[in-house]
Amino acid sequence: MKAVLYYFQRDFRKWTRSRVNIFASLVRPAAWLIFVGLTFPAKFTDNYLAFITPSILVMTVLFSSLQGGTLMVFDKMLGFLNKFLALPARRESLLLGKILFISTRGLIQATVLLLVAGVLGVRIESLFHLVLVYLTLFLFAVFFSALSSMIGLALNDHDSYASVNSMVSMPLFFASSALMPYEVMPAWLRTLARFNPVSYAIDSIRLLFEVGTPTIPVQGILGLAVAAFIMLLIGTYQFRRATV
Amino acid sequence: MIELINISKNFGNVWAVRDLNLKVENEIFGLLGPNGAGKSTTVMMLTTLLRPSGGSARVCGYDVVKDSRMVRERISYVPQDMALDRKLTGRENVLLYAKIYGVPNREKKTREVLELLDLGDRGDELVWTYSGGMRRRLELAQALVHEPEVLFLDEPTLGLDVAARKKIWGHLNSLRKKGMTIFMTTHYLEEAETYCDRVAIIDKGLIKAIGAPKDLKKQLGGDASLNDVFLNKVKSKEDETRFDGRAFRNILGRR
Repeated sequence: MKAVLYYFQRDFRKWTRSRVNIFASLVRPAAWLIFVGLTFPAKFTDNYLAFITPSILVMTVLFSSLQGGTLMVFDKMLGFLNKFLALPARRESLLLGKILFISTRGLIQATVLLLVAGVLGVRIESLFHLVLVYLTLFLFAVFFSALSSMIGLALNDHDSYASVNSMVSMPLFFASSALMPYEVMPAWLRTLARFNPVSYAIDSIRLLFEVGTPTIPVQGILGLAVAAFIMLLIGTYQFRRATV
Repeated sequence: MIELINISKNFGNVWAVRDLNLKVENEIFGLLGPNGAGKSTTVMMLTTLLRPSGGSARVCGYDVVKDSRMVRERISYVPQDMALDRKLTGRENVLLYAKIYGVPNREKKTREVLELLDLGDRGDELVWTYSGGMRRRLELAQALVHEPEVLFLDEPTLGLDVAARKKIWGHLNSLRKKGMTIFMTTHYLEEAETYCDRVAIIDKGLIKAIGAPKDLKKQLGGDASLNDVFLNKVKSKEDETRFDGRAFRNILGRR
């Protein structure tokens, strides 16, 4: 399974060699935090920044995980996949390498965001809670990067991937507890939001950011862990059967 | 080394390969045929990328479906489109394969194959700066880093200039002398004629002719070239439908 690491290194090195890429992926989340977090005239809370920080963390990881499917699409379109599948390494190691890279990239972006949030005055109770925030984000990233890589493997061109991506990502984000608490939602949206994995991650992280004695979101983290695990199983199955 | 027994592949109603029987020994074997004849499909089945719809194939004694991993450990595959990471150096590109193949002493081995393919002095430059011929040689370096028993090449000289093609063939020839089996597809019949020990001409998934280039030419007699053999065996759509090229051009000319 060392191949997972080698595939990861390949993508990571390619990413770090493109400075524009890195710069853009770090600026966008910070812009959200500053332009939306600091300015939005919300009526349901007097500390909108504290409310929106978990949402933007999750949103950043969500979008970057979904975006990650293009890696698979391009590997397929440009002929890399054919070469990789003819290698003796287990085929799922290609998928796991992608997931590892996409998740790592997401967590790096999240780190920048956390630093900006810290500067703006957002605080977390203890280091332990911070670790749990990372764990939640990681499980969430695994779930969605596995999904996006699987979609990437199934599709044949990046145009269709881009449309699937935009079709999935916006509704997922807006039909969640990202922008408003459940109490102020219309009933139909509340039902949708409760089932949305994005809300799972956001609610968990919001609990971890609470001041005083924050509750540990055992249910949320376990739920995400189970979901990520199931996604990995399906992905492994799909990649083992991969015939190009 | 390679044995195909009644192998077939269909995509819906279209048979890309139909009941193909073929035996390839330790040689350079060229698979020739028009576009869409089933060449790439055949190579992809032999490299375990496509599951045959019927029949079977063995490479190095292992079944391509049942023992696909054993097959993959013994072969290398260079597909038609050049897939190299342009933001990585030549060395990094080769090293990735050395690592995944689990090559012992991989730094040294990588250096050796880069030198073998005349890329030693450019190894630390980004592939982005390489010419087409260099990129093809780098792909060969990737394929050779684990010393495969069989090398599968899909159109290895496609789109390269004369000098680059000659260089690639020089390398393939010396690999052949070292005992490697090379199975390739090509459109360049003059190359196949000069360098392949045996060739097979396939069309619509069926073998039309097989043998050493010089024997095939002899059958046709006179000073026939492999091109003549090819045109003789492979009927184009126009021939089949009795398309009258001259009449058609006359019509166009009148307009």
